[in-house]
Order: sequence, then structure tokens, then C-alpha cells
Amino acid sequence: MNTTVSRCTRCVLSKEFPKIAFDENGVCNFCRNEMFYTLGTDVIDSSKKTIAELLDAHRGTSSYDAVMCFSGGKDSTYTLMLSVKKYGLKVLAFTLDNGFISPVSFQNITRVVDSLGVDHVTLRPSLNNLKAIIRASALHPIYNPKTLTRISSICNSCISIVNMTALKFALEKRIPFIVAGFTLGQIPANSIVFKNNYQFLEESREQSLSKLRDEAGSCVDDYFCIDPKLLSESSRFPYNLNLLCLEDITESEILNRIQEFGWIAPKDVDGCSSNCRLNTFNNYVHEKQFGYSPYELELSHLIRKGQLTRDEALQKINSKPIGQLQSIMNELRITEAELPNVVLGS
Amino acid sequence: MESLIQKKLLEFICRNYMVEEYEINLDKSLVDEGIIDSFGLVEISSFLKKEFAITILENEMNRANFGSVLKIVSFIERKKTV
Repeated sequence: MNTTVSRCTRCVLSKEFPKIAFDENGVCNFCRNEMFYTLGTDVIDSSKKTIAELLDAHRGTSSYDAVMCFSGGKDSTYTLMLSVKKYGLKVLAFTLDNGFISPVSFQNITRVVDSLGVDHVTLRPSLNNLKAIIRASALHPIYNPKTLTRISSICNSCISIVNMTALKFALEKRIPFIVAGFTLGQIPANSIVFKNNYQFLEESREQSLSKLRDEAGSCVDDYFCIDPKLLSESSRFPYNLNLLCLEDITESEILNRIQEFGWIAPKDVDGCSSNCRLNTFNNYVHEKQFGYSPYELELSHLIRKGQLTRDEALQKINSKPIGQLQSIMNELRITEAELPNVVLGS
Repeated sequence: MESLIQKKLLEFICRNYMVEEYEINLDKSLVDEGIIDSFGLVEISSFLKKEFAITILENEMNRANFGSVLKIVSFIERKKTV
């Protein structure tokens, strides 16, 4: 094993990434296909078939066909366009305003939903509550470190609120599908279409929710929890669809396509986000704690798929708006000394 | 003694979720332990279907069957005898 390499010479996985090993050329065991992280094209084909069958069975059976988790970033924008234009779904688009969404991103959101003619709702929780949740996620070991291989702790909290809110919308309005803009690399290929056992997952989250509640207060229940009676409705639906995973498309092709709807890349976000200013801080905390970026796994997957070059991926990881980190830390009232120490190899 | 099913399952978990075998508590839920998330649950189910040529219904992906490595192994053994 080569111990002098700091990052894989083919993808962007760091030497601190869990279970990584480099050969004499500095190529990691993920690139050498020794870690079977995603499956082949047969899964994509079977997912397409399953989705077509499900859409045929459920389209038009409710006031909306799908709740779309729409952040206003490039991937969810493209996925919203796919949902409406390619799959003909009547969509309720939903955005979580975490208090750190770029102003340009909000303009994008308005332009895109207006162009596509979809209904749109925004949830903006109390900023005091959100800041308490963000602070707790940054400063305390809320989640198991193994959960955080491909996502920062703060992103995990925001996405949990998004998922729970989308589930509530789906169950309350009897909407058969929840659509998200995940890409392969962010999720495994088997998860392009699936139905969760929400009861099981809800029970499994209790430990982390309890820690979050201890630090951020009872407001956690408002955003992360669901009425058990409503949850009991989830045995038949909703199905989760990740439609972007079915597309063989590069990032520049996505950007070209969504520009037709007036989408503009915000300048006040880092290279790994196209909507959220907070991401710079989230990644900083993760890198400080674990020694690698939470985006490395996803970006490396895109490199192996030929959808991104290594240089482009490195640029994404290294691109951070000047002064933004300190500005966000000031907004959150977090000092450098409070941040968790490095825990390499965890 | 570790069965072949358990061996294959543990190998899959270690390689896919970047953990060492000693980190996996056989009696505890992989979801509770943070080793897998909702996507992981689906991924393990797909692996089991393919590897052991069984069918798994959506309503079988519950805590009783997927609540720990030992429960999954027992579930597969029952499925294979049907």
C-alpha cells in the first residue's frame, strides 16, 4: 500500500477517507473497483421500468402527482423540469428556507416555478430555531460518525427537515410520489425508486433526535417529527423517485438546459453548492473533524462516470467565497475555538 | 458459528459502508447505529434478493426482519426454506 499519497491520483478521495488504500500509482481501491459502491446499468434499466409502471398506476389519482423537494440548486431545478416536461407530473414544489439560501437562488426558484407553471410552497422555520439546530449540528456529536461519510452534519439536519416536511405534505394531501434531485454518487443505484418503511426509520432516529433536542430544544419535534396517526398512513405510499439518476448527463449540459428557464449561478455559494451559503461552513466543520470533504465520494463517482474531470472536482472542493466562512460563523455566533477537534480516521 | 449468509452479508456491509467487521454489533440495528440510512436499507435488500435469489416484499423490510445483522440472517434463512 502506498502511504505517501494525500489524494487519489484518479479521483479526489483523500487519504483520510474511511477504508481507503492506494496502489503504487496512487490509485485508490474505490477506483480499482474493490469497493462496490454502485451497481451496473441493469439497475438503471429496471428502475426505469418500475417508475414507468408506478407512474401509470398512480398519475392523476390525487390533487398532485408528486411533492418535489426543490432547493433551487441546479440538480433539483433540472429534476423539477424533468418531472413536469418529461414525465408529465403535476408537481407541488417545496423549498426549505434555512435562512442561508442565496438571494439569487430565490430569484431562480421564482423564475423556474413560474416558467414551469407549478405550485410552490416555502417553509421558513423560525430563524432562532434553525440557528439553534445548526449550532447543535456543528458543535455536538448529534449523528453517528458513520452517517457522515458523504454528508456534513448540518446538511444532514437540513435534509432531514426537508424529507420530513415532504412526507407530511405527501401524507396530508395523499400525494403518491416524493421526487428529489439526488444524483448517483449521492445515493446508491438501488435507491432510484423505493418505498421507505417510515415507521422503522422513525424509531431508528430517536437516538440522534434526543441529542438534538437536548442541545436545540423542543422545537426539534416541530420539524423532525410526525404525528404517529399520520405516519400510519405511510404503508401504501409515498414512493420516492430520484429521476435525475436515470439521466446520462453532464453538469455543463444541466446548466445549459436550466439556463433556458432563467436560472443563474449564484456567486455567493461555494463550489459544491448552487443554492446554499451555509455550505462553506458545513464543509469546513466536516473537514476539520474528519479530514476530508463530504463531497469527495459523490464527486469521485462523477469522475469515474466521465461526467466531471478531476480538475473540475478539485476546483469545486477548493472554491470558497472569500470572507464567507467568518461571516457565517459570526451570524451563528460560533467561534473557531468552539468547533470540534480533528478526529482523523474515525 | 458464523454462517455463510452472515459472512456474505458482513462482507457486503463492510465494503459498501466503509466499516470494519469489529464495528458492527450483530444484535443492533444498522440504521440505529448510523451504519446505513434509508438508502442503505434498500441497497441491502437489493443485495439479499440478488445474492440469495429470494423475494423481499416492501412490508417485510421492518424492524423484525431488518433490525440487526442476526435478524437479517434469520430472515434470509427462513426465506430460503420457503
